[in-house]
Amino acid sequence: MSLLDLKLLRDLKALKSQAFAVALVMACGLAMMIMTRSLIASLEATRADYYRDNRFADVFSRLKRAPNAVAAQLSAIPGVAAVQTGIALPVTLDLPGVLEPATGLILSLPEQGELTLNRLHLRSGRILVGRESSGEILTGEAFAEANRLRPGDEIAAVLYGRRQNFRVAGVVLSPEFIFEAPPGAALPNNKTYGVFWMPYKELATASNLDGAFNNLSLRLAPGASEAAVIAAVDRVLKPYGGRGAYGRESHPSHTRVRDEIQILQGLSVGFPLVFLSVAAFMTNAVMSRQITLQREQIAILKAFGFSNREIGGHYLKFSLIIVVSGMGLGTLGGIGLGHQLVDMYTLFFRFPSLEFRLATPVVLAAIGVSTLAAVVGVAGAVKAAVRLPPAEAMRPEAPSSYRPALVERLGAGHAFTASFRMALRNIERRPARSMLTMGALALATGILIVPNAFRDGIDYVLNYQWDLIQRQTVFVSMIEPGPARTLADFQALPGVVLAEPVRGAAVELRSGNRFRRLAITGLPPRAELFRVIDAQERPFTLPPHGIVLSSKLAEVLAVNVGDELAVRVLDGRRPEFTVPVAALSEDFAGTAAFMDIGALNRLLGEGDRISGAYLTVAGGKWDEFLRAMKESPVAGGVVVKNRIREGFRETTAKSIGLIQMIYLTFATVVAFGIVYNSARISLSERQRELATLRVIGFSRGEVGAVLVGELAVLTLLALPLGLLIGSGFAAAILTTVNTEFVRLPLILTPYNYAFAVLIVTTASVISALLACRRLDQLDLVGALKARD
Amino acid sequence: MAQIENADPTAPVFHARALRKIYGAGEAEVCALDGITLDCHPGEFLVVLGASGSGKSTLLNLLGGLDTPTSGTLLYRGWDLGGADEASLTRYRRDAVGFVFQFYNLIPSLTARENVALITEIAADPMSPEEALHLVGLGARMDHFPAQLSGGEQQRVAIARAIAKRPAVLMCDEPTGALDVRTGMAVLEAIEKINRDLGTLTLIITHNSVMAGMADRVLTLSDGHITGEKRNATRAAASSLAW
Ligand SMILES: Nc1ncnc2c1ncn2[C@@H]1O[C@H](COP(=O)(O)OP(=O)(O)O)[C@@H](O)[C@H]1O
Ligand SMILES: [Mg+2]
Repeated sequence: MSLLDLKLLRDLKALKSQAFAVALVMACGLAMMIMTRSLIASLEATRADYYRDNRFADVFSRLKRAPNAVAAQLSAIPGVAAVQTGIALPVTLDLPGVLEPATGLILSLPEQGELTLNRLHLRSGRILVGRESSGEILTGEAFAEANRLRPGDEIAAVLYGRRQNFRVAGVVLSPEFIFEAPPGAALPNNKTYGVFWMPYKELATASNLDGAFNNLSLRLAPGASEAAVIAAVDRVLKPYGGRGAYGRESHPSHTRVRDEIQILQGLSVGFPLVFLSVAAFMTNAVMSRQITLQREQIAILKAFGFSNREIGGHYLKFSLIIVVSGMGLGTLGGIGLGHQLVDMYTLFFRFPSLEFRLATPVVLAAIGVSTLAAVVGVAGAVKAAVRLPPAEAMRPEAPSSYRPALVERLGAGHAFTASFRMALRNIERRPARSMLTMGALALATGILIVPNAFRDGIDYVLNYQWDLIQRQTVFVSMIEPGPARTLADFQALPGVVLAEPVRGAAVELRSGNRFRRLAITGLPPRAELFRVIDAQERPFTLPPHGIVLSSKLAEVLAVNVGDELAVRVLDGRRPEFTVPVAALSEDFAGTAAFMDIGALNRLLGEGDRISGAYLTVAGGKWDEFLRAMKESPVAGGVVVKNRIREGFRETTAKSIGLIQMIYLTFATVVAFGIVYNSARISLSERQRELATLRVIGFSRGEVGAVLVGELAVLTLLALPLGLLIGSGFAAAILTTVNTEFVRLPLILTPYNYAFAVLIVTTASVISALLACRRLDQLDLVGALKARD
Repeated sequence: MAQIENADPTAPVFHARALRKIYGAGEAEVCALDGITLDCHPGEFLVVLGASGSGKSTLLNLLGGLDTPTSGTLLYRGWDLGGADEASLTRYRRDAVGFVFQFYNLIPSLTARENVALITEIAADPMSPEEALHLVGLGARMDHFPAQLSGGEQQRVAIARAIAKRPAVLMCDEPTGALDVRTGMAVLEAIEKINRDLGTLTLIITHNSVMAGMADRVLTLSDGHITGEKRNATRAAASSLAW
């Protein structure tokens, strides 16, 4: 090893805690990037494989009923490569030991052979084939796991009003249900919603659809136009009650995965970028300081004929060692955490196997960028060092000129101790240096805001959706829309305190060439249980005319209040009409459209009908209520709000909590790193001065006070700035979470701010204590032996 | 003759004519050296005297290739040292010059031996670090770090470091300036021994006129001019100097 390298190692050893702090910050940024980017890569690659291997369809449609012969007509559409017809029916389940019913979707298996499209992946048990079985079904894995169902277990299902027992033959996955949840749901609730498959014959018989189909999937030929095929399919299906075909971009499971990837993409950039820039900044601070301290060593090396390249290389190597250890640590951490995250995502997204895939190009790019940032950050300092003529570097630096600090000049000087006055003057003497330290401390404060804002935003959304908007105990849906008087039947169920009707209609909303399919929810003008809320969090009265859109839906459709919207009803008499947008409502999960129930019924032209009701149920009568519900001939499904909320807490909240914890831990580590590093740098800058103070008789405490005083003043100044910066970071990063499924509001609470202040203050105190401990090791004699 | 390789071994080691060095510009202009004419020969022992600010360090910096003159001629063995570029100056310092400074300027993170080895590593024909340290009488303290050595010992390590590569010239800028009399004497003895044993052209800068007795030739500098030049018929031993 060359002696210059030996010097490097010894210098590094002397700076080890600082170098470690910088490397750690860098590692956090990189780990975060690797973790999220690899998760994205894993999701994308796995999804692509799954879609290809299991022949996920490109275009989908539901219809009322078409004879099986129509399939040939659909196959003949130019651009259609494969067609899969079948039956899809809503089903209500009665699970042993579970009082409230679960709902789901039951799909048919072909009479012969395998499914052509959306092929199933068998997890356990066996696949049902042809006509040979009866009384058996296949169950989606998420539901099976949540309800601990295994092949051989039995469940009771209500199919078309008829109750029947089925044996679970196998547990399966389907590319159509990577996200196993009802369409439009932002969160899974696998305990109360499931997907099932059974042989065509049995399902067709039960639903009077023998020889016919009501569900269609098809695959496009390469290069075929999706829009043209959709139009052709709609034409073919029109006489059969086609509900409008749609492509993958409107497919509920597909879009849910796509949006998750989009959110991850946002997170994979903002956070790591902040961390990595902080790390680059810290590397620069450490290196500049090191080079200033070694000014004379550099001069002597030059005097003895070391070239600029050798000297520059020496210091570059120094910072590269820090960078490389940071990168190594970050890569390992990122891979480890990435595995954990991938495991966690298998809870939401059901793939045959979701395996961790390292996003190698991204990792290499991140490493390259960080290395470059560090090199660029250090290059300036190194360049200054080598540019220094050797003779110049041997001259002592010009003595710094001090003057009374501003507060002293304003006449407040007598209020401070000598130590504190010195601290103030130090800050003022080198404003640029002090600004940098302050900036670093502010960054440390700022990055702590984001993870907690993330958590608070999610809490807010949940309270908003489940307390402010939805105040019912249960939502009861009917198998078919029924007369308005059915509400009285619901009202009469045991324990029901309040019942409010709801009329849902599946529609396509269109403005120009933008459209969305969803349900318009018809509600009483001033409902108490399901409330329509405006941007000021006030419930509002539904206008007697026009439609109220959630503001995200209005944005997606590019309409505003006053614009006309074309509505095509996909059900019943299938009327088409236009309505004006009357107002915008605010929500954070999914998209919604509301109308006055009377107005909606008039437009639907089927008389006064309801399709369900929101109910509040007295706690004491709960079991009785549920039993009555199960017997009720009209109730199709029951959604218990608290059950969903619990399910959310058990699954999604846990995973979001994990990500948030990782981020918060990283932010805390980084904050400590920054603060500690700042303290060390200011200690090293003052070493000689502090030693001199000790020599002339200041006590250790008094000398410590100079150092601590400076850090304290800078911290105090940095905190408000940091809170401001952090709010900005939070705003920038949270707005990347803005999809049709979920949006995050920017919620900044005093607790969040207090937490950041607490962490940075604690870090400052600990760093100050550590720095003061180093004061004991101050080389008093050495400080005086060398010239000043 | 652009390259130091082309230096002429028979020419004087240094040949300076009308050498000027001006720092700063305009109002702040300082003329540190103002028309220096000087020749130095192999093996010579020169002492440069002068008050603080008279331009001694500036002269040494120019001769040592640490800085370049503003005008005038400066040749090293016939090679144009005054007009050399950065890379050639680096080569020159690496191959031909050993420096000793007032404040030793050792690398604190390296031991005495390592400080010397740092330089021998890049030299063409060095002696071993151990040999160099023995020459300055520090054979026993080779593995000490600078912080564990006294000022005089540190300065002797600095001398070992300067001479280990067998330089053609040894430049000492106030080598005893930070030392007490006795330690200073030991340091001067080490320098004198190097000059005698290795025949290295040696330049010592000092404001202490007592040291003049050791020299072959004494130059006096004031205000950037050489105002006196005196040859000693015999050189006094460092130990015999009366402080
Ligand atoms: N880098 C510089 N910039 C400006 N002035 C300088 C510089 N170096 C030296 N000087 C000035 O040149 C003069 C000679 O300095 P120097 O050679 O260091 O004197 P000495 O070594 O004899 O004490 C002094 O007036 C000094 O202030
Ligand atoms: Mg001088």
